[in-house]
Amino acid sequence: MSTPFTPMLEALSRQRGVRASLIVSEDDGLMIDSSLRFGQEGERVAALAASLYRKARLSASAARLGAVAFLQLDAERGRICAVGGRGDLVIVVVAEPAANVGLIRVELLRALESVT
Amino acid sequence: MADDIRRWSDELARDPASLVFLQLSEALRRQGQLEVAFKIALRGLERHPRHAEAHDLVARIAVDRRDFGRAMEEWETVLRIMPDHVGAMKGLGYISFQQGRFSEAETFLGRAAAEGGGPDVTAALETVRRSSGGIRMPQQEQRDIDPQRLFADLLLDDGQTALLLDASGYVLGGLYLDSSGADLGEEIGAQLSGISDEVVRATRHLDIGEWKSIVFETPVAVIAMAPAVDATLLVVAASKATPLGLLRRLLDRCAERAAAWLSAERGS
Repeated sequence: MSTPFTPMLEALSRQRGVRASLIVSEDDGLMIDSSLRFGQEGERVAALAASLYRKARLSASAARLGAVAFLQLDAERGRICAVGGRGDLVIVVVAEPAANVGLIRVELLRALESVT
Repeated sequence: MADDIRRWSDELARDPASLVFLQLSEALRRQGQLEVAFKIALRGLERHPRHAEAHDLVARIAVDRRDFGRAMEEWETVLRIMPDHVGAMKGLGYISFQQGRFSEAETFLGRAAAEGGGPDVTAALETVRRSSGGIRMPQQEQRDIDPQRLFADLLLDDGQTALLLDASGYVLGGLYLDSSGADLGEEIGAQLSGISDEVVRATRHLDIGEWKSIVFETPVAVIAMAPAVDATLLVVAASKATPLGLLRRLLDRCAERAAAWLSAERGS
């Protein structure tokens, strides 16, 4: 099923090293749309990513540093990048370690601009 | 509050010379709308360049934006206009402490206390006096380090701060002071408690191995976190202007310090 977010998510997934892109509700962790290139359960990825983003937002708020614009989790064999701040929507990318994070960050921020 | 903001905005629109910009900007600052608050305060300052409270407001917003250089300039201006301004003394004490200039911090906070700064100034002064007791850390035995000063000599740049948290989110070392000198470490630790478990769950489910770090950007700062020895969590915050590569080096240096300190603690 196609949603208004599908073209944006497919564009993100075309970036080199991107394994999945999703748009998630931060409030309840439910997936709104996704473009998955691997055999993951999108709903679980969405819930985990939303929870991570929420934790980052709360800690930034506690530190009085304002809203979280971009989040990047680095692990041995992969990365999770997320942007939010438009209502409760969070755009998430799961990528390989070799992925160009700088480019993904720019594309994610651009994608966020298109989300209303 | 939203009604107040609307009312003050209307009043300022009707009379741009009104001092209501002080209330409006402060309310927006408290809501975390720092850029709007800053613009309004600066516009007010243009019309009232000798108004001490306007300079104080700009300084406090600058601290929230982690622009400590600007904050210091503004508070110095406040003291030129109003030499007994307690808020400016507290602010300058806070910045001096953040920059490792403990003697100056003690002087400013001492003056603020003498002017009737209240219990928060007294508490901040005690923190500074505890922190300024020793020589620089590298020359000390690790186990003798005041936990609150654990990273002090690594964090001399404006706006940098670091905390070491245990697995429950309690602060083991480091400090996180706000512009009034209050330590936000416990509050931040509480917010971060459990993040390690969530990260581990996420990385395990995605089969991407052990996590190495999380970085998140806000309009005013970059925050980096990394797992450290003994299931501890290291948190470093720096100004938005700090390059990410530099932030990672800072994170590494703090991790080394934390590991050495925890090792010494175990051995003592």
